[in-house]
Amino acid sequence: MYRFNFQPVFDNLDMLAYGAWLTVQLSFTAMAIGLIVSILGAVAKTSSIRPLRWIVDVYVEMIRNTPFLIQIFFIFFGLPALGISMSPNTAALVALVVNVGAYGTEIIRAGIESIPRGQIEAGRALALTPTQIFRYVVLKPALRNIYPSLTSQFIYLMLTSSVVSVISANDLAAAGADLNARTFASFEIYLVLTIMYFLLALGFSTLFGTLRRVFFNYPAGR
Amino acid sequence: MRLTRRLFAALAATTLIAAPALAADLQTVRDAGTIRIGMLVDFPPFGIQDASGNPGGYDADVAIALAEHLGVEAQIVPVTGPNRIPYLLSGQVDVLVASLGITAERAERVDFSIPYAGIAIGVYGGTDVAVAGPEDLAGKSISVARASTQDTGVTEVAPEGTEIRRFDDDASAVQALMSGQVQTIGLSNVVFSQIAGVAGDRFDKKFDLSSQVQGIAVAPDSDALLEEINAFVTEARTDGTLDAIHQEWLGEPLPEFVKTAE
Repeated sequence: MYRFNFQPVFDNLDMLAYGAWLTVQLSFTAMAIGLIVSILGAVAKTSSIRPLRWIVDVYVEMIRNTPFLIQIFFIFFGLPALGISMSPNTAALVALVVNVGAYGTEIIRAGIESIPRGQIEAGRALALTPTQIFRYVVLKPALRNIYPSLTSQFIYLMLTSSVVSVISANDLAAAGADLNARTFASFEIYLVLTIMYFLLALGFSTLFGTLRRVFFNYPAGR
Repeated sequence: MRLTRRLFAALAATTLIAAPALAADLQTVRDAGTIRIGMLVDFPPFGIQDASGNPGGYDADVAIALAEHLGVEAQIVPVTGPNRIPYLLSGQVDVLVASLGITAERAERVDFSIPYAGIAIGVYGGTDVAVAGPEDLAGKSISVARASTQDTGVTEVAPEGTEIRRFDDDASAVQALMSGQVQTIGLSNVVFSQIAGVAGDRFDKKFDLSSQVQGIAVAPDSDALLEEINAFVTEARTDGTLDAIHQEWLGEPLPEFVKTAE
């Protein structure tokens, strides 16, 4: 019978905690930059300028129809051939942003398209500037409409970040793999890792819930 | 068929605990006119099977040279890692030229010749990277396959400030070196010989971490045969025979640490 031995895990909890902190940092930065990329992508995709739409279409389709593992390999191992060399942690961040940006673009585009034309016309009738219209009449209600899909995509991003150790970037999964290589307590380590990822996801989900209450706490228009 | 062979090997292994090892006699080998040599065929570039199913590789060429030295025909018997010693001790093969690393534990079961091959773990890097010893690794990046012998070796000797990058396997670690993402790598000379074929002379060896030498093995009490084998290895190590075979399969002459090992 298998004998559980959690001692190696408890002895190295600081190492795993540091790994978890790196995962939080990496995912949070990727979410923040990814949100900006997604908004820009969605604006471009709903714009009237055709070439801009095509460029975004190519980007979105390329990223959404290829595995993340290949994307991160391409960015870390492939780009140096073109003279673009990044540290593993930077390459991991870039890969995550590029990936989540493509999914986010589609999600936010759907949100923008859900805004009725009449609402924008109402904004014009109130003499709002185009910037004001975009910010308050289009983007904010759009984000509110697609908030659940966007945040679940962000949590998925955090979970996906566990593969960045393939390019030797540091995160929770890498810390677990290093610990496993030293102590061979695979089952115990990955059990604890599973719990830690679950708690991280729960934490992010709570954070998103709070943000929703702070920013989108007004009565529904329709 | 495969199953019965495995079963038989397992049975042979169990009966061995009780039965005395069957020594191979030099005279018997000479009388038979053939020597049965066990070798691995799944351990490139030491032991492989070519397209038509014939054994090839470093071990195969050494085995043939050994048979030539003894003046008999070589009959190569494919063995596997776990069953190679049982094959030898049960008398199904006369000798093993099967990349068998010389360890104290194995030396209790079989008699080893002087080393005829070796695997060395070392640090390699770009020819323009100045690293002469572990202390020079400070401030440099080095890739290793996570949890490999080279990971352990590098982690042990690397000074403070070394950036150790751990990848999932040798292939990714090598890729990191080739794409310029790291300056150095911890690798075995076997894998390095393979990348040297692709990358040419962009990289060279910086220093050795550890090495494991391999010997030709015979069953205990085969002293006459062992003596002949030792004479063969000594001669082949000095007259360039092993250098030529090593050059063919591993891209470099027989390493110095093998030549000088006793």
